[in-house]
Formats: sequence, structure tokens, C-alpha cells
Amino acid sequence: MEVDRADGRNPNQLRPLACSCSILHRAHGSASWSQGDTKVLAAVYGPKAGTKKNENPEKASIEVIWKPRTGQIGKPEKEYEIILKRTLQSICILTINPNTTTSVIIQVVHDDGALLPCAINAACAALVDAGIPMKHLAVAICCCSAESGYCILDPTKLEEQKMKGFAYLVFPNSILSVLPEGSSLVQGEPMEHGIITSVTHGAMSGNLSTLRVSVSHL
Amino acid sequence: MEAKPSTANLVDKIVVPGDVVLDLSSMTNQTIKLGGGLRQECDSVSVIKAGKLRFSKPNKYWVESSQKRYVPCVEDTVLGIVVDCKADNFFVDIRGPTIAFLPVLAFEGGTRRNIPKFEIGSLLYVRVVKANPGMNPELSCTDASGKAAEFGLLKDGYMFETSTGLSRMLLSSPTCPVLEELGKQLSFEIAVGLNGRVNAESPSTVVLVSNAIMNSESLSAVQQKIMVDKLLQRIK
Repeated sequence: MEVDRADGRNPNQLRPLACSCSILHRAHGSASWSQGDTKVLAAVYGPKAGTKKNENPEKASIEVIWKPRTGQIGKPEKEYEIILKRTLQSICILTINPNTTTSVIIQVVHDDGALLPCAINAACAALVDAGIPMKHLAVAICCCSAESGYCILDPTKLEEQKMKGFAYLVFPNSILSVLPEGSSLVQGEPMEHGIITSVTHGAMSGNLSTLRVSVSHL
Repeated sequence: MEAKPSTANLVDKIVVPGDVVLDLSSMTNQTIKLGGGLRQECDSVSVIKAGKLRFSKPNKYWVESSQKRYVPCVEDTVLGIVVDCKADNFFVDIRGPTIAFLPVLAFEGGTRRNIPKFEIGSLLYVRVVKANPGMNPELSCTDASGKAAEFGLLKDGYMFETSTGLSRMLLSSPTCPVLEELGKQLSFEIAVGLNGRVNAESPSTVVLVSNAIMNSESLSAVQQKIMVDKLLQRIK
């Protein structure tokens, strides 16, 4: 289905990505990730000794602080912190440094749509830069659907506001492997088809198959 | 998704967390030693830190990467800063996930009567004796046979922090180019810890030495020589 997007992209096309690592001098790991005009800066400190009271001391814990570009910290920021914390906990290997805390601080530089996926990508790059042990990388994308049933990837803020519903999806990365093809499949599908986290807003009906096809093109 | 070559050899290539580098089911009856950055999962070995995969004969694999944070390993020599003194341990910060302990008797000829007194903030050159996950690492100021061997308090000098990759380069043999070039014109003493701390001591040119070392991390050998020459011309 032909769709006119404001910047002339195809429905499956992402905005230009840019990533820089080790940009902050004092942080143990840092990365800046931008998708088009949306830009997020992530800094990682740690691991540091000690955990908070309600955390399990037999595992490493991850603490996320989200700083919006303007305004005070409110409920949407707390929600982003919880989503990011759960995603990062599932990709880091938590048993290697028990009883330590790793702090991830996210600073929003500019928000032009697909903010949370951009932040997840930045946080993953900053963790790699800091050398925190991880099982695999996390790749996040925003995918939204309009009333007429078509779906597009990586919307800008204007496109997001016109959409009926959108979903943020996080996958493991495609890995290089010396194993023969097919031996690392999980239930008949390669690992990168699994979803780590998904956040959905609004109403989406009947087009999960188009969603699947469009996302598997990444 | 493109098809991956099934017999790819990833040695000396950059790998990211999640890449599977060894298939153990095809290598039976061999002993393989895995270094930092690799983890065994059932029949395969996968990467947990991003870096370059290295192989040394006959059977050692590891991922070489450079971080600002140090992971304590046994038999590493590090520079630590004393943060507290207790009855039978000094608490020493070695830039790792947890504080390390230095027993008060771990010195040459150390008995209960001649316990050394270190002030808080003093810099020590120590060796890691125990580094188990989940426990605080233990240090010692003697080498394996009990002699002092230059371990202990570093009195003078200027301490600066670098990444672990740069300290490994400074300790490599043959001598790293930046130290060789500086050594041709200046006289100085440095103590390098594998945790990324370097203590430089020199009668008058300590700032030049430390700036040259800090600048040399991402330069090749020829670029390091050019950089050192430029810095040395300023003091002539």
C-alpha cells in the first residue's frame, strides 16, 4: 500500500542512525545515539559496590535515571525508567558481579518521535562501551499503525501524533557464529526473531502479520 | 537476514556480545583456556564483552578490550589507594566493583609488632592474590615467594588514571614506542598498574611525561614518535 511520508521515506525505511561512544570523560561508559532528529545521551557508571534495600543481593542490579530535556521528572519518566530497567536486566548477565549496582543515566537531547527505542539503543551502546558483561545486544524500533491499516517504522513526532496506535519492540541482535546454520535455533526460529520487550499504546487490530513482515526487514 | 558462513573463524576480528566463537562439540579431547570476555554455554563459547578476539597457541582464547573500569584477576599488579584502616586489613580502592582488602601482615617480615602505618589516601603498588566473584579481592605487598620486590608505598610522583588497554600497552614487551622515545631524552620513573593507574616520577618533567602517555592511547607507533617529538621540542 503506497503511503506518503512527510520526509519521503518508504514505510519500512528508518531515519539515518548515528552513534558515538566514549564521549563523556568521567563516565565509565557513554554513548550518544540519534535517529534522524531524535537524540539521546546515555552514561553508565559502575559496577559499584552495594545494592539498594529491595534488590536481590545475589545478583547485580541496574539503576536507571531518566532526565527529560525540560520540565520536572514525573510519571512518564518513571515509566520509561522501569521499562528500560527491565529490558537492560534481561540482556545483562547479572550473576557475574553480585551485590553491585550499575547506574545508567539517560539524558534526552531532542525528542522527534520514537524516543524510548532511541534511549534503549543508546543505553545498550553505553553498556558495551563500559564493558558490562551482556548476553547479546538489544535492538529497539518503533512501529505504528494508522487507521487505514498500514503500518510504518520509526515515525517522527508529527507522524506519531496522527497514528492510531504504536508499539516499541526490542529484539536481540543478529550474531556472528561459528556454529553451523540451524543449530542455535530456539523453537524453530533464529534467536533474533525473539522479542525482549514490547510496549504498546493505542489500538491496533488485525495487522499483526504486516507488522511482523515489516519488522523482519530490519 | 543474510546467511552466515558456517566455518567463519573470528580470531583477530572485532566481536560483540552474543557472538558465538567456538563450537565445543567439534573439539573434543582438548583443553581450552578461556580468558576474559568469553563464557561457556553448554556446547558453545560466546562473547560477553565487545572487543577483538585473540588466540595464542596452543589453546588460549580471550577478548581484548579496553575499559575505564578494572576487573580484578589473580596475579595482577595494580596501584591502589588506601581508604580505611581496620584491625587486620587495610581497605584499598583498586577501581574495581568492590573494595579490596590488604592484610596488615602481608608484607616482607610482617609481624604484629611492626604493622606499617599508611595514611588514608596513600598510593600502594600491590599484587592481587585472590579475586573470586562476589567476594572482595585480597591483595599482598609481597611476591609469591614472600620478598618485598618493589611492592609497597609510592611516596613521590603524580598519579593519573587511564584505561586498562593503555596500561597493558605500557607494560608490553618490547617497550612501547612512547616510553622508548621519552626515555631517549628524559629520565623518569613510572609505576604502571593493570587497573589503569600510572604513577609518574621525574625531577622536572612529570607533566610532560604524563601528557605524552595519556595522548598515546589510540596512536600507532609512528604517530606516537611524532607526538613525543613535538612535545619535547617545546621544552628545548
